[in-house]
Amino acid sequence: MSARARLAAALGWLVLLLAIGAWLSQTLSFSGDLRRFLPDPRTPEQRLLIDELGEGPGSRLLLVALRDADPATLAAQSQAMADALGEDARFGFVANGAGGGLDAIPERLRPYRYLLSPTFDTQPLDADFLREQVALRLQDLGSPAGDLVEPLLPSDPTLETLRLAEAWLPARAPQTLHEVWFDRAGAQALLLVETRAAGFDPDGQREAVQAIQAAYAQARGDGPGELELSGPGAFADEIGARTAREAGWIGTIDSIGLLLLLLVAYRSWKIPLLGALPLATAGLAGLAALVLLFGDRVHGITIAFGFTLIGVVQDYPIHFFSQQRAGLSPWRSVRALWPTLATGVASTCIAYLTFLFSGVDGLRQLAVFTIVAMATAALCTRFLLPGLIDPARRDVAGSPRLLALWRWIERLPRPRWSLLAIALLALAVIAWRPGAFWQNDLARLTPVPAPLLERDAQLRDELGAPDVRYVLTLQAADVEAALQASERLRPALDALVRDGALDGYDMAARYLPSVALQRARQQGLPQAAGLRASLEAALADSAFRADAFEPFLADVEAARGAPALQVRDLAGTPLASSVQGLLVEGQEHATALVSLSGLHDVAAVARVAAAGGARLLDMKQASESLVADYRGRILAALALAALLLVATVWIALRSPRRALRVLLPMALTTLLVVAVLRAAGVELTLFHLVSLILAAGLGLDYALFFEHAGDSREDQLRTLHAVIVCSLMTLLVFSLLALSSIPVLRAIGSTVALGVLSNFVLSLLVSRAPAAGPATAAPDDAWPPSAHVDAGAREPRA
Amino acid sequence: MLKAPLRLSGEYRRPDAATLVREVRTPYAETTTIGGGHATVTREGKPERRFALSRAPELAALQSSFGALLSGDIDALRARYTVDVQGTDADWSLRLRPRDAALAGRLQDIVLHGGGDELRCIESRPVKGPVQRTLLAGAAQAALRAGDDADVAALCRGDRDPG
Repeated sequence: MSARARLAAALGWLVLLLAIGAWLSQTLSFSGDLRRFLPDPRTPEQRLLIDELGEGPGSRLLLVALRDADPATLAAQSQAMADALGEDARFGFVANGAGGGLDAIPERLRPYRYLLSPTFDTQPLDADFLREQVALRLQDLGSPAGDLVEPLLPSDPTLETLRLAEAWLPARAPQTLHEVWFDRAGAQALLLVETRAAGFDPDGQREAVQAIQAAYAQARGDGPGELELSGPGAFADEIGARTAREAGWIGTIDSIGLLLLLLVAYRSWKIPLLGALPLATAGLAGLAALVLLFGDRVHGITIAFGFTLIGVVQDYPIHFFSQQRAGLSPWRSVRALWPTLATGVASTCIAYLTFLFSGVDGLRQLAVFTIVAMATAALCTRFLLPGLIDPARRDVAGSPRLLALWRWIERLPRPRWSLLAIALLALAVIAWRPGAFWQNDLARLTPVPAPLLERDAQLRDELGAPDVRYVLTLQAADVEAALQASERLRPALDALVRDGALDGYDMAARYLPSVALQRARQQGLPQAAGLRASLEAALADSAFRADAFEPFLADVEAARGAPALQVRDLAGTPLASSVQGLLVEGQEHATALVSLSGLHDVAAVARVAAAGGARLLDMKQASESLVADYRGRILAALALAALLLVATVWIALRSPRRALRVLLPMALTTLLVVAVLRAAGVELTLFHLVSLILAAGLGLDYALFFEHAGDSREDQLRTLHAVIVCSLMTLLVFSLLALSSIPVLRAIGSTVALGVLSNFVLSLLVSRAPAAGPATAAPDDAWPPSAHVDAGAREPRA
Repeated sequence: MLKAPLRLSGEYRRPDAATLVREVRTPYAETTTIGGGHATVTREGKPERRFALSRAPELAALQSSFGALLSGDIDALRARYTVDVQGTDADWSLRLRPRDAALAGRLQDIVLHGGGDELRCIESRPVKGPVQRTLLAGAAQAALRAGDDADVAALCRGDRDPG
């Protein structure tokens, strides 16, 4: 193939990759659903979290504050936003205090007020009560606000509509200025918005945040004011945007750095292109395998872990490039390299196979992605790259600077017992450093800046918004049973509110009484003739005309004959989202949720819950136990993987001593990195674990290649060149990540960077054989490794 | 809905510059105390009800207009209303139109009728519904004397008592 044909083939490959990438980006949809990532639930709490909630009722709420304008302007903005968002299908409900609960009851359901209101549970609807109510209504008419009440009176002389509206207000509503909610200082208009998208759905939350911002921009126009958004969804969006920003500049510097590095290392502008092809192909092959095997059940975190892990394949073409020299056909050179490369890939892939049997969908996906990607990259390097690379004009072994470096390394002492000392020291640090070993709180990895959290707590308090951590749950055979159980729990909860253990609570039964309760209320309502007689008696000597309340008689009669109101009847009303958010219908049972706001005494609430057959669910604790479970499974898989890895390397190298020299650097590095992280007070997370696996994979390759180079000086020089380029590339990428302000990126970056440094040094000093002189590759078993290690250890003291 | 237009009688009091008390004596007893951003309503045989004035702009309007008028604070009045004076010293009227958009959505205007230094009547015209008239001082006494036959609108305007 001519140089031009080779370049054309490489560019053709690139174009093919771009096309596949474009297709994948259309097909592939990541799930933001944590259930795709976490293991199967075991405890009842976990099961509830995973199967039925996925999240708490509070996590879909966004808190909105409008400020920096005069109250009337803010109120108008609040109203305009509420109107706009109320019609937006992406939001379940929008509350800003306007309209109260009165609009919540559509006309067709108005007669149901006599089944929904608790008034007549304790008070019969008789002549005495009506007389008293009618007298009060006269006073209402005589008050300065009489014209507001007047239209309600003919059908509702006891003002049951208003009573319901008041009962449905949030437990602790903010103050109302200019007819909308304001904070206590009267400086900020407040709104509460519930998204239909789940709290853990980053795309849905981003869309919601953007829709709110757009509605605000529209409402404000050119006027003054400032919008503030808070809540889990807003935080996720904020952190996502920050991650994208940082990943943007880190990616740019990485690209420039890698390009320069490869240009300097190989003096050919085609090398960066050829070097990128196997990695890109590997990533796309891995993604394609996921799409084919798992469809849309792929979690974003799995992909992030996967791409971290396949960072190792970037080294494959580098080893090949550094072995190139004039007079040697690329095909011969790659054949010489292949056994070592294949050993590394095969042993790592076999290790990842253990993830397939971990019982966690996310880990299975990770294994499929990584194995497919690594095999693809290795096969690309073996069978495609040699056909595309230009014949080498120079041999990196001929570089005088590299030679000088190599000579200096040759003179370095060979560690032996010192390694044992270091290992023991690392173990001691790991074992005795105080502080938790693992960090189970996934949220701590993407923490919300403290000022934002404080603001959120403040707004949550002003709005009486529910707690995102705790929720009470009541499980029952069906919706009716769940509603009845909720009703039985109410007196105890009300007592908690009176005692100050709790500021307020919300439950579906507050809006929709059980059928049994509705039936009981129906039976308590007087018959038409009796009610008419009572009303006539009540009106006899009043200021009202005798026929003033005919619509009231009709409504009570309608309520008496109506079928009990069910969840489905609420469809399309503002009540629907309140009820549906608090009532989860499972396959064989229903769960009623009681959201809590202003939780002051967790223990007291837990006691009441237990006594009432409910469960106080600590979402944080449940999700943390899931994370711990997940980690346990990874660790178990890893233990097995380590054994398989050792066995594979042993079989491939056919000598326990050689296997030990190859495996020692990565084992020691893992120990060292964990010790350094522990010493720095870092609590380890899943992300550290994945980074350690990547570092170990890199270390295995470094050691294999150094070991493979034997004692030939030229081969050692070429391997040294390759490993220097590999580790510089990895160091560049991951030390930039270590500088990030985002804890996840920092965790991955610092762990891998440390691991690369340690692996590089250790494989140079442990896996590399002392040079025999400028000969071509020696037979593999020509030198007893132990003798060389001893010789090396004696050398420096001479 | 009512057999006859509702007529209340009672007393307005200003125990201090920031408080207005509206006491209804007949046909029922009710005392509304407006001040400090809150209104407290006391009804016979019922627990006291207290709510923020922000929830009842009508009461806030009453407090601000009446209070400012009684204390002779025209600046305070002008801050909340466009003020329009008509008539002579012996028979004047003061038309107040709310500046606040929220209140203007519910209340068209308040017209105060008087003669000399006596405030005779407050006419409050909501956007929806009939005019509410509050007769004071001499006009109120005249209405009480006339009983059910009193022409409240005429008394408010200050028409000479035909009887």
